[in-house]
Amino acid sequence: MIADDRKGMVIDMARGNDRSKKRHYKFSFGMAGIYAVLIAWALTTIYPLFWILMNSFKDKKLIRSDSFSLPVGETFTLDNYKTAFDRVNILGAYRNSLVISLSVAAAVILLAGLASYALVRYDFKLKGLLGSMVVAGMMFPAFATIIPVIRMMNVIGLANTNQIPKSLLAVILPQIAGNLSFAIVVLRGYIGGLPVELEEAAYMEGCNIFQLFFKVVMPLCKPSFATVGIFSFLWSYNDLFTQSFFLKTKPEYSVTVLLSLLTSQEGTNYGLMASSVSLIVFPLLIVYLFLQKYIVKGLTAGAVKG
Amino acid sequence: MKKMIAMLLTGAMVLSLTACGNSPSGSASAESSSQSGDDASEDAGAEESAPAESSNPVTLNVTTTFAGEDTNAQNYQDAIAAWQDETGNKINDASGSSSETFKARVISDFEMGSEPDVLFYFNGVDSNPFVEAGKVVSIDEIRQTYPDYATNMKDGMMGASPVDGKNYSVPVNGYWEGLFVNKAACEAAGVEIPTADTTWDEFMDICQKIKDAGYTPIAASFAEIPHYWFEFCIYNYLTPATHNILPESADDEHGQAWVNGIGDMKTLYEKGFLPENTLSATDGETFQLFIDGKAAFLIDGSWKVGGIEGATDDVDNFTVTYVPGKGSRKSTDIIGGLSSGWYITKKAWDDPEKQKTCVEFISYMTSDEMVSKFASVSATALNNGTQVDKSQLSSLAVAGLDMVAGATGMAGAVQDQVTQEARVPVFNGMPDIVTGKADIKEAVEELLKLVAEGQQ
Amino acid sequence: MVISMSSNIYKNKKPIIFFLVPAFAFLVIFLYYPFLQNILNSFKVINNLGSSAKGWNEPWYTNYVELCKDENIRAALVNTLKMIAATIIGQLGIAIMLALMVDNISKGQKFFRTVYFFPIVIAATALGLLFNLVFLYDKGMLNQLRELFGAAKLIDFKDNKYAMLTMMIPVTWQYVGFYFIILITGLNNISDDLYEAATIDGASRLQRVRYISLPLLHNVICTCGVLAVTGALKVFDLPWIMFPKGMPSNSTWLTGTYMYYHAFESHNVDYSSAISVLIVILGVITAKIVNTIFREKDY
Repeated sequence: MIADDRKGMVIDMARGNDRSKKRHYKFSFGMAGIYAVLIAWALTTIYPLFWILMNSFKDKKLIRSDSFSLPVGETFTLDNYKTAFDRVNILGAYRNSLVISLSVAAAVILLAGLASYALVRYDFKLKGLLGSMVVAGMMFPAFATIIPVIRMMNVIGLANTNQIPKSLLAVILPQIAGNLSFAIVVLRGYIGGLPVELEEAAYMEGCNIFQLFFKVVMPLCKPSFATVGIFSFLWSYNDLFTQSFFLKTKPEYSVTVLLSLLTSQEGTNYGLMASSVSLIVFPLLIVYLFLQKYIVKGLTAGAVKG
Repeated sequence: MKKMIAMLLTGAMVLSLTACGNSPSGSASAESSSQSGDDASEDAGAEESAPAESSNPVTLNVTTTFAGEDTNAQNYQDAIAAWQDETGNKINDASGSSSETFKARVISDFEMGSEPDVLFYFNGVDSNPFVEAGKVVSIDEIRQTYPDYATNMKDGMMGASPVDGKNYSVPVNGYWEGLFVNKAACEAAGVEIPTADTTWDEFMDICQKIKDAGYTPIAASFAEIPHYWFEFCIYNYLTPATHNILPESADDEHGQAWVNGIGDMKTLYEKGFLPENTLSATDGETFQLFIDGKAAFLIDGSWKVGGIEGATDDVDNFTVTYVPGKGSRKSTDIIGGLSSGWYITKKAWDDPEKQKTCVEFISYMTSDEMVSKFASVSATALNNGTQVDKSQLSSLAVAGLDMVAGATGMAGAVQDQVTQEARVPVFNGMPDIVTGKADIKEAVEELLKLVAEGQQ
Repeated sequence: MVISMSSNIYKNKKPIIFFLVPAFAFLVIFLYYPFLQNILNSFKVINNLGSSAKGWNEPWYTNYVELCKDENIRAALVNTLKMIAATIIGQLGIAIMLALMVDNISKGQKFFRTVYFFPIVIAATALGLLFNLVFLYDKGMLNQLRELFGAAKLIDFKDNKYAMLTMMIPVTWQYVGFYFIILITGLNNISDDLYEAATIDGASRLQRVRYISLPLLHNVICTCGVLAVTGALKVFDLPWIMFPKGMPSNSTWLTGTYMYYHAFESHNVDYSSAISVLIVILGVITAKIVNTIFREKDY
């Protein structure tokens, strides 16, 4: 048994999962229990996605009446996907969505990183107030802030231009602001956990304060930044509300806007809804898997450790 | 995991490639980003009396509700494509499905001066903000310059604005509300399907029999969507001429009609004619009871024809008929009307380059032929009526057409006169009303008070 | 673990401005300025989102008086309190447990990280439909299962008696993955050398968790606590889809759904602005409380 476990570790190391090599794992009943719990929870999270995927291949009539059975044989259909792809330029929409959400994620990582670093490391008068401001910022509902934002975008000439880059930018800017609060709150937690000695050592070696941030803090917190990036990407991508105010014409549509228009109103076409959700979710999961590499690998990349 | 994702990706690629193949006009409107309206001459008034014969291509910004699952989304796309080919003009289409977010977008566009040139939108209270602000042009004003504008429509049916009673929009397709029937459920319970001659009392007997046979007579969520039954129940104490008018107070004769009508809804609940969980179920759940044959009747609008066709394999098992009436309402007095229409905005009207094109575009979209195509089974305001090819329609849709054709009177839904805010005491309070926790008369009074406050 | 503010590097405060200005400029322009307008709006008469005010309320604080009298708001606050309890105990508790477990296994870490993320990416409309079908009265998954085990009577899970529970379970479940990922990232930030040293000293797995993981995760748990309470105050999508308009009979309102309702359904935008102000105030206060509770606790 133990030998088997070692083999597993070797494989893990080969995969680049370096952190396991330093810990000792033994098979035990406790371990079996842990796996049982983890798998049980995993089932609850896998099932809904599976359910949606399954129903996206089913005739829309069956979804409400018979949603828990497999689409095999006669009930299998690609119609829901055909409708989703019919007459709409879904590739263009994916491109728009990616441009928006990647820009938002990148900007949030950078701006929130800088701000939370200062909020953690420096001691200054307004610190408490700024901290409360950030928390309050998380609570502002989008609908309460959207109208003044639209007005601003009109004034600076980003809204209603029928030009794709401007319309995308009109979505990106408020979305950055919307995700910053959350990102700062989370990053503060992470950066606060870093031992300050590392920065001191680097400082001794002649790094200036910005080099400290970009060369020490950022690499060390790579997984944290990846996590924040994932969520910013996710929320920007799913934020139908802001998008539907600025992305009005077909060439400007994002995936979320486009698919929401297909499944809207009466909301009775559950088949289309299932296929739309699948079409929305899978690119997200790919981005997630991609960024997750950083979460797992991040530690080995930063050469210095506490 | 990786393999699975790779496979999915490949699948998605293949699908999207096919999609490219049959999406001809995805980027057609992308190129037309120039806005010709920007350099409009200041003194538009002079141009108005003698519209310029401009042959230059014009770009119109158009916003409609023909999008998503709207049955006319495809008709609309075809129509604007044909129009652009024919005239050489361009259309920037910013249509959306009529969600609350979409409405907010339209209203805020008007607020900020970035409204479209041509708009297809609701003509009820939803249009009040921009009608009040004078941002759309009335039909009368348009006719001073273009006397033939919308003359193929009955003026009285165009859907006058609640603000000043004037017509601002040219309607296309209207709606009706009727009693949808699941034939199998009626058959299983051994009852006849209601007809134009069935009275309310007979209908109550039918419901009782259905209930005794173990089925739910009426599919309705009184918690979420009580308004269809509300309309017909108070209609029973009114007439097509009076139904659409709000009572002065809960005490007068008209107000009494409301109180009595809501009282009948309470009776329906007390007799157990509604699903057991009508106070906790959503409309989607009760609708499914109807589709599955667990419930026999459903009051809903003409848009539900498509919903039922889409939800069942056997559309012939469903039909639609008159909601049985009593008192001053004949069963054949129905509820219906035209709730949306084409507007020209003031901004476009004052733009000499666009004015004529807007008029031409709307005339094109509201020709007899086009309206017939869009309206299909629903009501229209056409002088000559629609020409519909019945062989193309399902039996349910034909039943709908027949019902409208045989109607002896039609009134608009009175809820369209009531703002969302004012609906709360009666509509949202319905569970409390039918369970006796709230007083009907007080609820009606509260509603009327809120309406009065809103009008100030 | 408390950061030594005394560190010499951070004595010179000039660079602060460069760190803070970009982010706070965004916050001020796109969040604070609009929200100030929103506060003003709560004193005006506005029917539709996007339409201009019809004037000031008479008297101007009407909406706040209304807030104090509104029974639905009271129900919403009570329900939201329950929701906060559920998120802290349920979401955060389960997430901590799962994160510690995943951190302690050798195989399949990546798998669990991936699948626990699933519920967050699925749009609320789809999850709402799924849960509606699970809890459906006649006859959803649960009632079918109960029937299979011989239950004679259907249970209406959306009835007053069960409504809150039926709402809280999916909401709690949905966001466990969110906290899980934040926590596991925090665990990854902990140096392996510490575990190494502890193992050499003969610490058991549980002791390692108790004396290394938890204390070092302290900051991150506190962050999650803040996110959990603020999240519970504003959550609306899944509850709204399952229980629109506070169904049944106004018993399931949350502050988030009630605010949404007034913004989009009842066309009472000024009142919903007032509710959003209330939510922000409650959010800041509860976040402060969470901060003090978690900070005081010494592991």
